[in-house]
Amino acid sequence: MAEAYLTQSPRTAWRVYDGEAVILCPDSSTLNTLNPVGTLIWESADGKTPTSAIVARICEEFDVDPEQAERDTTDFIAKLSGRGLLSVAETIQQAP
Amino acid sequence: MAELSIGIAGLRAAVITPDAKVAGVVRDRFKGFASSGPADWRIEISLPSESVPSYEDVVVKRDGVPARFSVKRHDFTGTVDVGERTADVMLTNAHDISEEVSLESFWRILYSLALVEAHGLVVHAASLVRNGKAYLFAGPSGSGKTTLARLSSDATLLSDELSIVRIGERGATCYGTPFRGELALAGEDRAAPLVGIYFLRHGDRHAVEALRAGQALARLLPNVLFFAREADVTAAVFRIAADLVEAVPCFELSFRPDPGFWEVIVNG
Repeated sequence: MAEAYLTQSPRTAWRVYDGEAVILCPDSSTLNTLNPVGTLIWESADGKTPTSAIVARICEEFDVDPEQAERDTTDFIAKLSGRGLLSVAETIQQAP
Repeated sequence: MAELSIGIAGLRAAVITPDAKVAGVVRDRFKGFASSGPADWRIEISLPSESVPSYEDVVVKRDGVPARFSVKRHDFTGTVDVGERTADVMLTNAHDISEEVSLESFWRILYSLALVEAHGLVVHAASLVRNGKAYLFAGPSGSGKTTLARLSSDATLLSDELSIVRIGERGATCYGTPFRGELALAGEDRAAPLVGIYFLRHGDRHAVEALRAGQALARLLPNVLFFAREADVTAAVFRIAADLVEAVPCFELSFRPDPGFWEVIVNG
């Protein structure tokens, strides 16, 4: 998995309840509820944390092997970036 | 020129119109909500001197100034400036809709925008006060809002259609509104602390089931009346709704059409 930096779309609004993030996409007026792994990735999407560090945190907090954590992270990035909730960059992103 | 003062949910508006008939409609439609004291908002209502373009659906969007929204529907066109706290509306009567209906519809949209700053929401919900406590029953048309209101003769009606909730330091407060549903009755101009939000489901018995805040938020948002689509104001509405489900216990209420539902609400 190539190193990348994730950034939440500034157009979203979100809140975490019981370890699960609920995210509103204003453009489509849709709500996305994330599972705890997705919530960890979402909360780490600050433009500065590399995906390798996110994967390491998933392994640590959810007791999964690195291959599984990488697959989960890749799937999550594809899904949320496809919905316009997340952007992916090869370098550190500055806060907007 | 007639000037009236109307107060809903703690927001007072000075209403100005040159038309005597329109002034009469405002006076009649909002008669339980006449107020006094300094106005927070100024609303001007006019009638067109020539034909104006007609819009089929409600369109609410910024008109170039960050705090100002244009509001258009087939029977009215206007602006709401939440920064200046002013609004103006021209009743175009394009499809022979009564001024009464047009004005109430504009008022609903106006309050949906004005309440954001006041940390409040307009919700598709019936609301009732019993023993000094307010209960909110949310759901779309056909979910049973009016039925529950009809079955609650010992409760004070705040609304059987559109309720207003504001969140403050002391929790959430529910306010009566003049917005009418199937009962064709305005609510009482009254406020009470909101102690429960109930999402309605028809059933063959009465039952309440507690909802987690995330579940409640997903149920609440589709029932929030809001037309603007700009990301920042939509996000602000989301945050108010999120605060509301954290501040007030939320439930799913299954009910059949008899007053016994109050028993499961009061006894948990």
